[in-house]
Amino acid sequence: MDKLIVPDTGLMFWTIVTFLCLVMILKKAAWGPLLKAIDEREYRLREDRLAAEEARAEAERIQKELEAQMAGVQTKSKELLAAAVKDGEALRAKLKAEAESDAQAIKDKTAAELVAEKNRLVDELRQEVASLSVLAAEKLMRKSVDEGVQKSVLDGFFRDLDTSKKAGRN
Amino acid sequence: MNFESVLAHHLVDHKLFHFMVGPLDLGLSPLIITMWVSALVATVTLSFAARSRSSAARLTRGMIEPVALFVRDDILEPLFGHHANFYLPYFLTLFFFLLTCNLIGLVPYAKGVTANIAVTASMALCTLFLIQFAGVKEQGLVSYITHIVPSGVPWWLWPVLFVIEVFGMFAKCISLCIRLFANMLAGHIVSLSFLFLIFIFAQMNKAMGFGVSPAAVGLALFIYLMDVLVSFLQAYIFTFLTALFVGGAVHPH
Repeated sequence: MDKLIVPDTGLMFWTIVTFLCLVMILKKAAWGPLLKAIDEREYRLREDRLAAEEARAEAERIQKELEAQMAGVQTKSKELLAAAVKDGEALRAKLKAEAESDAQAIKDKTAAELVAEKNRLVDELRQEVASLSVLAAEKLMRKSVDEGVQKSVLDGFFRDLDTSKKAGRN
Repeated sequence: MNFESVLAHHLVDHKLFHFMVGPLDLGLSPLIITMWVSALVATVTLSFAARSRSSAARLTRGMIEPVALFVRDDILEPLFGHHANFYLPYFLTLFFFLLTCNLIGLVPYAKGVTANIAVTASMALCTLFLIQFAGVKEQGLVSYITHIVPSGVPWWLWPVLFVIEVFGMFAKCISLCIRLFANMLAGHIVSLSFLFLIFIFAQMNKAMGFGVSPAAVGLALFIYLMDVLVSFLQAYIFTFLTALFVGGAVHPH
């Protein structure tokens, strides 16, 4: 059983040779390709992550830009709306004022026309009454009165008429 | 039947023929052939996993890659920094060679390669050389030798500590050698002991031999399964400790 714990030098030689050869062989045959694949994958992952981060940053930037634009558009539309409302109000006020003034002018004109018509009618009536009165007086007195007397009588008559009308109005 | 002769038959390597080169007997033995088979299996499996594009290779690669990444990122990277890639093939080969030898040693009729002190001593010797190589390569010869003793030691203590540290370096490697050897040998011996119980009882009485065999086989199987675990564990420990010792020589502070 001593052999169990006494190392055999030949075996040691073969072990070292085998192991060192295995290191060389595996370095070429296995570890090279394997580690290269791992490195490539890690590199790719890192690249992908960087690209993804960049894309995200870009997307965020675009989103912010759009938000700013939206805010600008909103304030502008609000301004426009307010301006339109103001214009509308002004227009309405203007139209109303114009309509009122027109109506007033029409009313004034109509009133003036009415007064003129009334005066004309009153004059006409007065002429009519005067001639009728003269006619009536001529017929009544059956005498011709000269033009001067007729005129003075008529004037006196109209004066009386005026005063009586004024008195009546009062 | 003598248990000692059975153990000797199973655990001691016997040369198939002798081939003397100076003091070395380079004759082949079943153990050497098993070791070569292990090396071949490791080479074929790992090359296949690393190079092939088939789904089986992808599966194997999926098992090997985490180990490789663990050795690189968790063992070597903290010790060697950016020099890790230089030492990585050595440590990966060390781990997978020991693992394959440990596992093939569990196959019936194969020899327990790592249950032989010559093999573990050779591996420890490789570690010892790697420590010197890495120390000189990373620090330079003079700096390496002066840094064998930790800095901040009084000058009169320096020679004593130098001797102690040099002996410590050997002790570390001897402990590596004995740890792997003893762990792998113990599994084999215990397995064989349980199986040998059957024959001891059968010598007393055939019926007792039959009676004890289920228990003996069950226990031997349990030890066998534990040996599978120990195979992984010891390969990892050997690799990790080697990295630790080499790292200590590379960074003396």
